Amino acid sequence: MNTDNNIRIKLQKIPENFPWPLWPTLIFLFVICIYPLIFLIRLAFMRWNLISISGRYFVGLDNFIRIFNDHDFWNSLWVTLIFVLFSVGIQLFLGMFLALILNQDLKGENIFRGLLLLPMLLTPVVTGLMWRFMLHPDYGIWNYLISLLGIKKIEWLSSTLLALPAIIIVDVWQWTPFTFLILLAGLQSLPREPYEQAQIDGASSWQTFWFMTVPLIKRYILVALLLRLIDALRQYDLIYMMTRGGPINTTETLSWHIYQVGFKFFEFGHASALAWIFLIIAIFISKNFIKMLQTESYIN
Amino acid sequence: MSVFWKKRTIKILSYVVVIAACLFFLFPIYWTLVTSLKTRLDAFSSIPVWFFKPTFKNYQIIFFEKNFAYYLKNSVIVVAFSTVIGLLLGVTSAYYFARLKVYGRENILFWILSLRMIPPIVAVLPIYLIMRNIGLLDSRISLIIMYVFMNLPLIVWIMKSFFDEIPNEIEESAMVDGCSRFTAFIKVILPLSKPGIMATSMISVIFSWNEFLYANILSGSFSKTAPVGLTEYATPVGIMWGQISAASIVTILPVVILALFLQKYLVRGLTLGAVKG
Repeated sequence: MNTDNNIRIKLQKIPENFPWPLWPTLIFLFVICIYPLIFLIRLAFMRWNLISISGRYFVGLDNFIRIFNDHDFWNSLWVTLIFVLFSVGIQLFLGMFLALILNQDLKGENIFRGLLLLPMLLTPVVTGLMWRFMLHPDYGIWNYLISLLGIKKIEWLSSTLLALPAIIIVDVWQWTPFTFLILLAGLQSLPREPYEQAQIDGASSWQTFWFMTVPLIKRYILVALLLRLIDALRQYDLIYMMTRGGPINTTETLSWHIYQVGFKFFEFGHASALAWIFLIIAIFISKNFIKMLQTESYIN
Repeated sequence: MSVFWKKRTIKILSYVVVIAACLFFLFPIYWTLVTSLKTRLDAFSSIPVWFFKPTFKNYQIIFFEKNFAYYLKNSVIVVAFSTVIGLLLGVTSAYYFARLKVYGRENILFWILSLRMIPPIVAVLPIYLIMRNIGLLDSRISLIIMYVFMNLPLIVWIMKSFFDEIPNEIEESAMVDGCSRFTAFIKVILPLSKPGIMATSMISVIFSWNEFLYANILSGSFSKTAPVGLTEYATPVGIMWGQISAASIVTILPVVILALFLQKYLVRGLTLGAVKG
């Protein structure tokens, strides 16, 4: 809006402190980002199977029409939705719960916080492997534990019903420490006086939580939500190590679907069209969150 | 119930919850460590074996019979170069964003930060084709480039918030004393922002070390990194759980040790940088 006019006027004089050191970064990012994206959008309008001899040819909107009619695509959208909703939702609640607990002056708080940090530092493929072993129907420890409760052995990762929940649990296990860290920092930044005042006024802890704590750390919640949403959308490592999108396609998220189309079937045109749809979804979500964050800082 | 006992029970319950949480979050790591030290008999028994005689056979195999050490070396090279280059580009850019009235500053900054939102699978499709065309597939350089791209937004984001916290007057007094802006930056600002640089480099190292998608698609037998090399032990016949556990432990060990010692930088970088930005 205003910035365009400002840029137009100011470009007429070259300022003295022109940011020469910025150019390497900008050029690098431009080359790595813009050029491939343009390449990608050209590809989205073509049919190109990398291993067939017919090369690539222009098909217009055909890829997008195919996608619209493709049952696998809509399935992958649904799987992604379920995965992201549940895994991020549970992480947020669990992280908040743990942050509230650790916000009291407990002994050994730093040690606990350090220990709770560990899962998010692990290589996600390693996490996938760890859990795949623990969920193994024959030598996995989970089946042993539930057998102690009298439940028969479960084939977690080969069950069409349980594979996606299993992956959600692993994602929650790995990333709750992240939301916990951010929310704890938020809680620790809060001033004490309002709470003492509220206690004198007789507010219940539930009321102080909902009407005081949550609004005050809204910024932290939004940041945790944004980062986790974006990362959950792109989850790939866990699926690669644990289920490869199976059984059937019950754990085939959009990210995995694109990978399959592009690198298993080598249909790069179709995959590029899918990738653009994915990109638009990701940008839409992040733009909204960033806008929410910016209004937050204006209010503050 | 009297207030005293109510507070007491909450405190006790809190400790119980925290300890339970620690057990839940640490157990899988412990179990993998233990599996890597077990013989096949112990590891694959259907009733878990808690006490056993440890053996280093799995570690022996991955280091001496298979070349896991080579993959680790690749990881180190790729992570070191990409972190250094990322810091060079990112810290200087962040400084200029924080200090100078760069025209269209807000827009460029927003664009750089939005790069973090791109799903890797979207980026890797064209990058794979481009790398294939210029012959950089299965090279460490392609990975270094991708990791710099991956980490730059975060580096700029976090360092800009750190620089924003340092008041302008500090450089101005240095420049009044005769320094150029460049010297002021090197001699005055950088030492002050050491915590920020530590935090950013840690985060960058961790993300690059653990990265799998780009490495899996863009690397081959020459440039494979450790996370990709791990998957070698998942053969078509079956997964060699002992060896893959050993490889897993070796892969996560550097980051875990790094983080346990430099915990406070990590926390500070994640929270201050992420939130204030």
